Amino acid sequence: MAADMAQAASWRLPSLALVAWAALASAASAGAAETHSDSQATTFGCVSDDLAQEVCLSAPAQRIIALSPNLVELVYAVGAGSTLVGAVSYSDYPAEASALPRVGDSDRMDIEAILSLSPDLVLAWHGGNPRMQVDKLVALGIPVYTSDAQDFPTIASTLERFGQLTGHTTHAETAAQQLREGVAELEQRYQDAPTLSVFYQVWDKPLMTVNGEHWISQSLAICGAESLFADADALVPRPSIENVLAADPDVIITGGKDASDTAWHSNWLRFPQLSAVRHDNLFVVDPDLVQRATPRLLEGTRELCQRLDDARERR
Amino acid sequence: MSGAETTTHVIQAGAGHRLRPLLWLSALSLLALGVAVSIGSVTVTPSELLAVLSGEGERLHRTLIFELRLPRALAAFGTGALLALAGALMQVLLRNPLADPFVLGLSGGAAVAALLAMIAGLGAALISASAFAGALLSTLIVFGLAHGTGSWTPVRLLLTGVVMATGWGAIITFLLAISPMEQLPGMLYWLMGDLAYAQRAWPVLCLAVLSLLVVMPLGRTLNVLARGGLAAAALGVAVRPVEWALYLLASLLTAVAVTTAGSIGFVGLMVPHMLRLALGNDQRLVLPASLLAGGILLTLADTLARTLIAPQQLPVGVITAMLGVPGFLLLLYRSR
Repeated sequence: MAADMAQAASWRLPSLALVAWAALASAASAGAAETHSDSQATTFGCVSDDLAQEVCLSAPAQRIIALSPNLVELVYAVGAGSTLVGAVSYSDYPAEASALPRVGDSDRMDIEAILSLSPDLVLAWHGGNPRMQVDKLVALGIPVYTSDAQDFPTIASTLERFGQLTGHTTHAETAAQQLREGVAELEQRYQDAPTLSVFYQVWDKPLMTVNGEHWISQSLAICGAESLFADADALVPRPSIENVLAADPDVIITGGKDASDTAWHSNWLRFPQLSAVRHDNLFVVDPDLVQRATPRLLEGTRELCQRLDDARERR
Repeated sequence: MSGAETTTHVIQAGAGHRLRPLLWLSALSLLALGVAVSIGSVTVTPSELLAVLSGEGERLHRTLIFELRLPRALAAFGTGALLALAGALMQVLLRNPLADPFVLGLSGGAAVAALLAMIAGLGAALISASAFAGALLSTLIVFGLAHGTGSWTPVRLLLTGVVMATGWGAIITFLLAISPMEQLPGMLYWLMGDLAYAQRAWPVLCLAVLSLLVVMPLGRTLNVLARGGLAAAALGVAVRPVEWALYLLASLLTAVAVTTAGSIGFVGLMVPHMLRLALGNDQRLVLPASLLAGGILLTLADTLARTLIAPQQLPVGVITAMLGVPGFLLLLYRSR
């Protein structure tokens, strides 16, 4: 019996190696097939995605499925919204995106639903979509573009690449240009502004914020402010109330749909010794504007900058 | 001694009737696989299904059935079969109806190792391998500690397992608390059990068949063992080696099931119980029947998990418990 089990254990391990090998081989052969079609006259074009994979299409994408809400926004931003045939839950901007057929959640997609919409391009979200499910789509022969846009330059270049994939190059270049100019203008306006320390509160219970690598911190930096836990290891650190009290930020910003959505502020109003409370520097910003990596982040950054300007006056 | 022999005799007298429930369960297995293949978020009518099976039909339907539904249904069947067989073996081993790979901490060890691999950012193959190592490590700790200075009893083994399981549970909570936000959804779904990520069906299926081939010739030994270690020893069973082998086999089955589909509870505890209530205590019948019934339960549960509120996908562990608890309670109530 022990021999049987040893045998079973030993074929299990090669089977894992085999699976890995098969995945590599199929990826390699898919790559080879794409390179091959590249040389043919029918190829429409190739772009390199954020994982440096070549994505080649034989014609402008006409049936796109976007596997995260921000990718839906990016497709609309290059004027190709009408090519979307499917999206995941919470894809609510622009308003017409809410009517798109759903293919599950970004962290659990319904592969059958995706196939049934016969997409000619799937936009995947690195870090949000389960990699095995995305690999399955690739193995089924669907062109997959994987996005890992986490800052303004990548958002702008994503717009340009989506423009190439959909044939909306002019629109996309304009959008990318506007984004870059908008960012440059804010950077210039706030380059000499006095630095503020900001506690950006992502969530209430548990308390969550962002470290220096998150794009929210980059937006704060553009406005001449510094995220309180910029040095933390985790992208989304979970500090204690004590940590925040000890660091005593100049400003506390929480997410909320409008200025009256201040439920999270009551937590802090208990501590009048906080500079932010003393100077009434608790603000609300629309989380959709700053927590999604889309062109709307520029709008969100402008809002942040304005709030921080208000804070400088009150200090 | 003569009493035990009479019991064996009585059990043997029923040998002719053993085939019928197994035939029924085999038919139900095929039916469950058929249902799993025909139902999904895309409607495939019976005539379209027939066309696909005869090698024609739309390309989309062929892909859905052969690339998505069939491999997943087979993986579900194999995983359920392994979990139920592991549970049945453990219940014989410990002569205790509470025994189950999850109660004994095997899956907890696998889960901790897999979560550590996820935090380290390892790939799918390495996550599976470390889950496997974790289950075996947990087995060795539980069996080694319970073995201790010589005198181990099923109760002591069970208690050791329960304490280990609680310890693993605490480590899991700790890992969830310190792990990066963006990894939490994947970890939670893995802990809830999910067949969406099952890559290949053949490892679980082959192991199910292999282990049945190993266990079936031992059926009579297990029947005797189930009546107690002393009685078994008196009847000439080499108790200690058989018990070690049972425990290791059950760990192997659990480890492979957990690496295929994450941590799915309840199947190993419930299926052998239901079968004993319905079919009696002959291991030569209960073991193969557990294999089939576990497969049927998980195949149907997974079909529900991916269709119930499609396109939203549910973790299959939720469904096994929601199907299993009322069914089990009903059976228990009626068997009073």
